[in-house]
Amino acid sequence: MDKNYHIFSDGRIERSEDTIRLETADGEKKHIPVEHAEAIYLHGQIDYNTRLMSFLNDHGVAVHVFGWNDRYAGSLMPERGQTSGRTVVEQVRAYDDPEQRQSLAASFVRGSIHNMRTNVTYYDSREYKLGGVIEDLDDATARIGDTADISELMGVEATARRAYYRTFEAVLPNSFAFDGREYNPPPNPVNALISFGNSMVYANCVSAIRATALDPTISYLHEPGERRYSLSLDIADLFKPVLTDRLLFRLVNRKQISRDDFRDEVGSCLLNEEGRTTFLKEFEQTLERTVEHPTLNRKVSYQYLLRLEAYKLKKHLLTGESYDSFKRWW
Amino acid sequence: MSDPVSRLVATAQGDAIDDPFRVTGVMMQYYYVCERELWFESRNVEIDRENASVARGARVDESSYGERSQENLRLGMIALDLLEDGRVVEVKPSSTLTEPARMQLSYYLWYLDRVLGVEREGVLAHPTERRREDVSLDDDRRDKVESAIRGIHAVVTADSPPEATEKPYCESCAYHDFCWI
Repeated sequence: MDKNYHIFSDGRIERSEDTIRLETADGEKKHIPVEHAEAIYLHGQIDYNTRLMSFLNDHGVAVHVFGWNDRYAGSLMPERGQTSGRTVVEQVRAYDDPEQRQSLAASFVRGSIHNMRTNVTYYDSREYKLGGVIEDLDDATARIGDTADISELMGVEATARRAYYRTFEAVLPNSFAFDGREYNPPPNPVNALISFGNSMVYANCVSAIRATALDPTISYLHEPGERRYSLSLDIADLFKPVLTDRLLFRLVNRKQISRDDFRDEVGSCLLNEEGRTTFLKEFEQTLERTVEHPTLNRKVSYQYLLRLEAYKLKKHLLTGESYDSFKRWW
Repeated sequence: MSDPVSRLVATAQGDAIDDPFRVTGVMMQYYYVCERELWFESRNVEIDRENASVARGARVDESSYGERSQENLRLGMIALDLLEDGRVVEVKPSSTLTEPARMQLSYYLWYLDRVLGVEREGVLAHPTERRREDVSLDDDRRDKVESAIRGIHAVVTADSPPEATEKPYCESCAYHDFCWI
């Protein structure tokens, strides 16, 4: 898989010869090798033109835009290879069939809880005593099969996630107090890290989904159109514990991120530029990390696991072969 | 009319039939390479186009015969790479999958004969390896083509694809990850 490039400064990106040139507001020039780019993330105020868009389209490079307070503002996706009417039809059919939707949604919840649990057992086996949370998660998993509809399933997921977030309080130092998950806006550093990390997971899932011709707005656990790319929310939930949470614990506990990496505003707390740079550098390294895949018989990157998840879903929809959500196996 | 072979001939000859049936050269090739891949193709299950070996096949087709590949001859369901002294030439990047390529070419010869009433000889060419092989349509090949047409029909009309079976060339297939995840 290719790399993500993040641009924080204000400025302009354009096609220059056969590559991409970034010219920042203070006159600095940088080049982004287009052949190694998976996606470009724009965090600052950036000008670009249609010539650049065609160029990125030719190379299959996506652009994800983040606006004020790191809010995801949208994506410019390459047009190539992402239209398949049949895929969308099957996606809608599965949504419209209560049994199939429930089964897909249940699979997403099962995977999410499994991946939360893996984090909890990891820290439980170290000095932290988190046994109670493991039981709560196991109780939630046991209830998945009994749920009659999506809202009950959502309830099970929410209960599990609340229990899971209790471990954050125990694992993180006192200076990073965390009194439950809040967003819009995040009130403290831990929530700011979770929000920022999760928005990166989300955008990476958008890229993965769009590489497969699946329609990112047709989802199973989340209600379609609840937010723009609700399928991305379904898939991102599976990966948040692996990509965001573990990284967050590591960065804070190793003091790579400190209280100085945030800026406080009235009622909100956000990573400052230095904090975001530190987080993203480590986040991108995490995406590039590889793991031996049990059935592909080769190593795959964490980032490619997102793509594989979209493939699995697409395969299920088009062939009727079963879908089993991503569960961390290592 | 339920026999796929008669349906194919009727379709190709432009008869207005209720259940038209088409087989392209590529479908014939896939049938011999991997029935699962054939099913995927028939349902437009598209996968990662950046895959190296897919790109390679396209490149060899375009570059090896330069200008001449423009002469790609479209005849209803089939598209011939080129005609050379009246012989049908099928160009392949390598000889690793010779039998599927031979069957694709045999199908072209069968189609020319059966649908258009033209008898032709064929040549299978691997330009990168400077290898050529003559292929002609004898009774044995004719039977093989017709039973393959029936086999293709069974695959593409099935509700789900045949199960994945491991083959030596799975590694280089565009659908590899799709099959094995």
